[in-house]
Amino acid sequence: MAQAWILIPAILILPALLAVAGMLSRSARAALGICAAGTVATGALMAALAALVPHGGAVTVPGGWLRVDSLSALHLVVMAIVFCLGALQAPGYFRHGIADGSFDRRTARRYAGLWFGSLAAMAAVLLSNNLGLMWVGIEATTLLTAFLICVTTTPGSLEAMWKYLLMCSVGVALAFTGTLLVAASAGRTGIHGTEALLWTSLAASARGLDVQLVKAGFVFIVIGYGTKAGLAPMHNWLPDAHSQAPAPVSAVFSGFLLNAALYCILRCLPVAEAATGDAGWARGILVAAGLVSILTAAAFVVVQRDLKRLLAYSSLEHIGIVTLGAGIGGVGAFAAMYHMVLHSIAKSTAFTGAGRLIEIFGGNDMKRIRGSLSAAPLWGTCLLVSLLALVGTAPFGLFFSEFMMLRAAFGAGSYAVGAAFLAGLSIVFIGVLRHAIPMAWAPGEKPANPHAPGIVEWLIVALPLAAILLSGLWMPSFVREAFAAAASVTGVLP
Amino acid sequence: MTAMLDTVLVALILSNFVLLGSSRLSSCIRTAALQGIMAGLLPLATAGAGLSLRIVALGLAVVALKGFVFPHLLNRALRESATSREVQPFVGYTPSLLAGLLALAASFWLDGRLALPTHSASSILVPVSFSLMFTGIFLLVARRTAVNQVLGYIVLENGIYAFSLAVVRDIPFLVELGVLMDMFVAVFVMGIAIYRINSEFDHIDSDRLSTLKG
Repeated sequence: MAQAWILIPAILILPALLAVAGMLSRSARAALGICAAGTVATGALMAALAALVPHGGAVTVPGGWLRVDSLSALHLVVMAIVFCLGALQAPGYFRHGIADGSFDRRTARRYAGLWFGSLAAMAAVLLSNNLGLMWVGIEATTLLTAFLICVTTTPGSLEAMWKYLLMCSVGVALAFTGTLLVAASAGRTGIHGTEALLWTSLAASARGLDVQLVKAGFVFIVIGYGTKAGLAPMHNWLPDAHSQAPAPVSAVFSGFLLNAALYCILRCLPVAEAATGDAGWARGILVAAGLVSILTAAAFVVVQRDLKRLLAYSSLEHIGIVTLGAGIGGVGAFAAMYHMVLHSIAKSTAFTGAGRLIEIFGGNDMKRIRGSLSAAPLWGTCLLVSLLALVGTAPFGLFFSEFMMLRAAFGAGSYAVGAAFLAGLSIVFIGVLRHAIPMAWAPGEKPANPHAPGIVEWLIVALPLAAILLSGLWMPSFVREAFAAAASVTGVLP
Repeated sequence: MTAMLDTVLVALILSNFVLLGSSRLSSCIRTAALQGIMAGLLPLATAGAGLSLRIVALGLAVVALKGFVFPHLLNRALRESATSREVQPFVGYTPSLLAGLLALAASFWLDGRLALPTHSASSILVPVSFSLMFTGIFLLVARRTAVNQVLGYIVLENGIYAFSLAVVRDIPFLVELGVLMDMFVAVFVMGIAIYRINSEFDHIDSDRLSTLKG
């Protein structure tokens, strides 16, 4: 389809219009309705665009600034799913806020505006071929989502917002320095001016780039975007922001904000790798960053008492796993894509359940949440099953992606990496289940009768969980091809 | 042109030391504003004969933003709070100045090591931009008040801006505008955050925002 590129500007413009509509909505309920309907519509456009991208090919807007290839197409689909899950759970989540007046019309309007603003900014990150524009998108998401953390102002949410704002702004500023260094490295190849920031032209002439500058640039990019992606040791903002934000926002933070930043690193990986002569220099950095994140997360998961912080550290672990897989390359990169998709879906679902259980039991402390399966069957099951999936229990898909990655590590002869990875996974497995089992079954005070979930709520729990379960048992060939095509963008499959 | 450029660059270095050595927040804001104006003038000085409308427009936008809009926003945030000076920074003022000296030396050393494609107009543009970045990061970690941290962020951005002038010839206009707009929104958002923090906690010491741990 020659005109498929029309969808690219449409995906950027539609959320911008919806943001205006959301800011003019007549009531809080209407604002959340616009959020849900608009996000589903934008998500449908994204999915349609992703379906039109040929494997190994790309859809480019004339001029070359906006472009979608297999890697961005896969991320677009994940983004659509995560945002839809977040938007569809919002009306139920804010029900009490609307009733008691804490989530009034003004707050709701601002929420809707920021929601669509972040949607547009994140889409811009994925759609841009220009590294400068990509950076602008990432920085814009930081600023827009900062206020989503403190939709309802509390001391905790302000503290989290300040930490997030400052750490990510500074981190992302360093990433810009990295982008400049990479652009400067193209000086000798004859591409300059506007071209030097285009990913396609950098990737095409990667072998001619100045090695020293690319190396310096890539280090800056990993540190900079890594801060936003929550890679350890730059992760300090992550648990605070995730635990203080409202659950639909936490879902987007964990499910996609981190991936968007990691996507920028993955974009630069093949350029850095080719420029340094495919010697594994850039991949080594990612393997190290991934392992450090997994082990850091493992250490903190064990001592957690706050449910949302537990989920946040689990995100840190999974971002580490995806980074590790991309670093290993080959089958590892395939597993990384597989893992990224499943983690985003599972984590958004986990936050859905966690948000409601926290509301029902009246606090984030996991010691207060007891017997959730009998007190609130849908949300209890939702949290339990998604936690089981997240720690990598068979037969959920995440078990297989982790297993593939482990085999890739051992296959590549990196026994130490494989062993450390396995140790991290085991610690997280025990650390999470230690809390998950009492939260589900232990006897405790029965809370006041919770609100009965509606049909939409059943669907946003059942569909994602079924998909994760199914993906472990049977993977359709088009899905496999999409993962393989996305993985091959990050480097050649050996 | 080179003489003027070098004067601006040396003034930028001096403004770093003023920022590192002063405790009154209002004078820090003023110094940062002055530094922003000088950074905005840099492209006019580096362009030489190739001065175009685009460069002038961009330079003026930077001057307006960093020289007038940011100080205004920060001054307003400062007025709302009762804080007027940084009483107990993590690193005292004399050690800060020494750190600034070290950063300057490190910048020149790093410039020698990296062998960047230098700008013809001045050989010290790259090391000056490094020293701005180092100073910015140092202010971010060594100061307690939120206002000073925002200033650190602005100084870091000034450094990156100077660096972009030195190493990448023509950054597309759209990207430059995007970067500038992001930066504007960033400081704007930080200003609002300071305001809210102040009204919620009655102080703007970011190190006392420490209930979230582990």
